[in-house]
Amino acid sequence: MPPDGAETLALPLPVGPPRAPRVLALSLPALSLQRALRSRPGAPPLAVVHEGRVVACAPAARAAGVRPGDSLTQARAACAGLAAVPLDPAADRAALRALAEALLALAPAVEIALPDALLLDASAAHLARGADPEDGGEAALAGRALAVAAEMGYRGRAAVASGKGPARALARHGGEPILRAAPGETARALAALPLSALELPPGMEERLAAVGLDGVGALARLAPESLAHRFGPEGAAAARLARGEDERPLVPYVPETLPEEAWDCDGAVESAEPLLFGAKRLADRVAARLAGRGLGATRLKLTLKLDPRGEERLLLPLARPTAAAALWLVLLRERLSGLRLPAAVTGLRLSAVEVAEAPPEQLSIGDRPEVARALEAVLSRLAARLGEGALFAAAPADRHRPEAAYRAGPFLKEKAAPVPRRRKNGAPIPTSTLTPALSRGEREAEARVRPTRLLSPPRPVVAEGEGGRLTALRLGGRAWPVAAMAGPERLAGEWWSEPFDRDYYRVRLEGLGDCWIYRDGADGRLYLHGLFD
Amino acid sequence: MGVESQRAIIEDLRDRIRRIERRPARREGFLPSGRPEVDALLPGGGFPRGALADLAGGPASGKTLLALAAIGSAVAEGGLGAFVDGRGELYPPAAQALGLDLDRLLVVRPGPRSRGGGNGGQEGLWAAEALLASGAFAAVAVDVPVRGLLPARLEAMLRRLAAAAEKGGAAGLWLGSPDLACRVPAAVRLEVIPGERGGVRVRRAPGLGAEGVRVTGAGHAA
Repeated sequence: MPPDGAETLALPLPVGPPRAPRVLALSLPALSLQRALRSRPGAPPLAVVHEGRVVACAPAARAAGVRPGDSLTQARAACAGLAAVPLDPAADRAALRALAEALLALAPAVEIALPDALLLDASAAHLARGADPEDGGEAALAGRALAVAAEMGYRGRAAVASGKGPARALARHGGEPILRAAPGETARALAALPLSALELPPGMEERLAAVGLDGVGALARLAPESLAHRFGPEGAAAARLARGEDERPLVPYVPETLPEEAWDCDGAVESAEPLLFGAKRLADRVAARLAGRGLGATRLKLTLKLDPRGEERLLLPLARPTAAAALWLVLLRERLSGLRLPAAVTGLRLSAVEVAEAPPEQLSIGDRPEVARALEAVLSRLAARLGEGALFAAAPADRHRPEAAYRAGPFLKEKAAPVPRRRKNGAPIPTSTLTPALSRGEREAEARVRPTRLLSPPRPVVAEGEGGRLTALRLGGRAWPVAAMAGPERLAGEWWSEPFDRDYYRVRLEGLGDCWIYRDGADGRLYLHGLFD
Repeated sequence: MGVESQRAIIEDLRDRIRRIERRPARREGFLPSGRPEVDALLPGGGFPRGALADLAGGPASGKTLLALAAIGSAVAEGGLGAFVDGRGELYPPAAQALGLDLDRLLVVRPGPRSRGGGNGGQEGLWAAEALLASGAFAAVAVDVPVRGLLPARLEAMLRRLAAAAEKGGAAGLWLGSPDLACRVPAAVRLEVIPGERGGVRVRRAPGLGAEGVRVTGAGHAA
């Protein structure tokens, strides 16, 4: 019974849930070839080879006469300098994972559709800022996805449609860089495609072709019941797919590893410029992958592959979690330009070895963004060269011991709300029993008589007196006459760990100024501890 | 709406736009020293922004107090301050006693773990140059040991600091000793000596007209 097309088209469309989700499919044609090319500079004649035959070849190789399907011997005969790269499905999968990570910046969920596509949840495209109401922001989303892919070194084609299968088929065979099938229009968009676009189970395409079905449109017009009768459930599924009825939800990809990207140099490189060029690419890619996950790096590792063997590793600490490639590059440039390498470099690898959630507002200085950026850059430069411990903002600590009265904290970092410490039974420990707290008044009074400089360790001084009166202090091989003196202020405590007991005096030495001197209760000697400079 | 009031509104909006656009807002002019007595001594009524000021004094003269007060006034304006503590001696509680918001004071203390091998002088000067040029800090105090440096080399590095301050628009405060072996390319020089009854005596260096002033600071009241 030949089906009547007009009749089947009048079949009622499925209504109510489940409905096919809006999906953006990103297809990466000849992924293995693209992957091989992106880590090599220039446009080398290159072919991906599997079981002795060329499966894909770069434009340069094609221009020399190499064609997919050629044997490797034929290909080598056609193109003398041909670089043969074995097909590596595992590496292709890893490449898809890396790209999926970067695309997470655009969509709430990304599915990896092997062997060469990624599917993005486009249901929230209309929420993007500046979304075009005409298409619900879907075309813009597709454009951004292609831009991210380009940033990561891949060319692709994108299609937005209802359902995973249809979107993927349109991306792969639609023949346009960006193709959009409006909701309800998916079946019409699919109708022009060949049956192969549906990626049917093995043999199904041939069996359908045998009964005269030459395209997706013809398949869509068949009633599912008649297909089920002849081709079983697989046939019915194929027809549903052809009509754009694909309700399968996305299987979101959850990244587990920290991003790492590699780049091979064009031969052995001895100068900084080409290395910086490679480092910029790597930084862009690693940063995009981190940003997709809402993360920022706090530590980067750049590994330089040396010629002929060996490695040089550079660790770059960052002042705060950031996925700003431009900032990383400032640091990389500084490190690379000052680097003396024992041998030429053949490749680079950049990995984010330590990451943290990147705060949406990077700095809390309430200042203009260009100042925030300038601050970010200078703090990271300083941290990279001097070490992270060298930069801090002091925070007062409630301690009597002068050298412990402040501690080094992060500069301008959002302060986390203090987590109350708890006893084993869960009851919070009152903070007053943790450290002997100073009262506010006490602290202020104490702060008033503190020197601007504290010497570590305190320097011993020798007292010179006459008739029980202190007349001079011998300091650094010289006696300084005492002009005035105030004190003592007794500071003592910490009997549970390192007890101390000191009497502090503020002593004005002629020709020097005011000094903070204490008599140590333990040995009875005098020490210079600070200067009122 | 009358023409006059319209004009007034436009004038007001223009003024606001000018204020928003004046970029960087705190670049020109002078940074109040935080002490009216010192401001009165300084040409322009404060430390020059985009230049170095040389605060020359002995180890307990009060120069650090002056620098912290100036940083305090930069912070009070909403800016950020930095102290390059090459000697590792700065005692932040004193800064807090001056009312300085410690959260907005970056202390840079090049230590033995830094790549330059822990030379507080060289690394400190490098850090100071980076901070001054960054444009992110309104005031940067620089206290680094320079004993190991040849005078010619030190002078070259100080010139770099002055150029960096000019680039970033920061007020650079060089804490030097009175017997520094070279000239500091500073726009203004204050000589700081301890006062007889506590406090600090400040003298503007000769050549700019010498006057004396005495400052008594909270941190120095006996």
